[in-house]
Amino acid sequence: MGNPVVQFQIVSAAPEETAGFYASLFGWTVDANNPMGYRQIDTGSKAGIQGGIWPAPPHAPSFVQLFIGVADVKSSVAQAVELGAKVIIPPTVLPEGEEMAVLHDPQGMSFAVWQPA
Amino acid sequence: MWGKCGAISRPNPCESAAAPVRLGEVFRQRLNVEFATRRQTNPRYSLRAFAAFLQTDHSTLSKVMQGNRRATVKQIRGMGKKLGMSPEEIAVHLAAEHVPDASTARRQARLRRWTAEALAVVGGAEHWEILRLCRAPGFRKDCRWIAAQTGVGVDQVNLALTRLLRLGLIDGRWHAQTALAELTEAEFRKLALARVRQKAAEDHIEFAKTKG
Repeated sequence: MGNPVVQFQIVSAAPEETAGFYASLFGWTVDANNPMGYRQIDTGSKAGIQGGIWPAPPHAPSFVQLFIGVADVKSSVAQAVELGAKVIIPPTVLPEGEEMAVLHDPQGMSFAVWQPA
Repeated sequence: MWGKCGAISRPNPCESAAAPVRLGEVFRQRLNVEFATRRQTNPRYSLRAFAAFLQTDHSTLSKVMQGNRRATVKQIRGMGKKLGMSPEEIAVHLAAEHVPDASTARRQARLRRWTAEALAVVGGAEHWEILRLCRAPGFRKDCRWIAAQTGVGVDQVNLALTRLLRLGLIDGRWHAQTALAELTEAEFRKLALARVRQKAAEDHIEFAKTKG
């Protein structure tokens, strides 16, 4: 199965403006009609990956995260911690059954592990 | 003038990922490279001669070159001019003196982040409201529903939810921790701030281990 990058996420201090900017620039469609109110990006292409937009905490800069698909979030988190990663958001089950966790790699870069429902 | 640096093989300190240094160090490096280059041409060339050329005191110059003292604005302007730097290049070195080093910048960013986290807990009633809703019968795991119940936007709900998760105040299934069931709002806020402090302290220890 491997562990593909399944999604990019723009963490933005101004998510609505960010959605408007990329929609205008690239014709991406952004749909937040889901239980998380998550701004899901459809790039309009089957090439590459799809993405989403998440609000940045106050005083945090905007940045991009990659979501890596895994078979088991909890064991991936445990393995990442063994390799020096730090858990930012522990494994969490989302409203539609997917499970995810957010970590910092040993260099402090944020990424997420994601398991489909 | 930078072409002369080629005579002495030195990495650019600003581009060293392994050991980030203060940007102002580049001026010190520049002086050392210039001095070394002159000594390559004339092995008897002394620090006194170099100081005389730069129209500065040799003891001060020695301290600046060894990194024991920062060059003042006046010294950077004077020495830079003598080294043939353009006004633009001198301006860059002057600006570099005022930029905090990488370690200080990261420490400041951490402090800002944890202070913002604490302020969000103090100022955001939605945290307590979400926790209250999580415990209530009929709770719906739907941020739009939570937003409607709490009277804040979905983004604010999502930020509060992730904060509660980060602080271990709700679990991965969005259930409030059992121990919190009896807390009042004031007690909850006190506990949440204590968790922020604990996380900040852990972060500080980690930062100190990695030296920024």
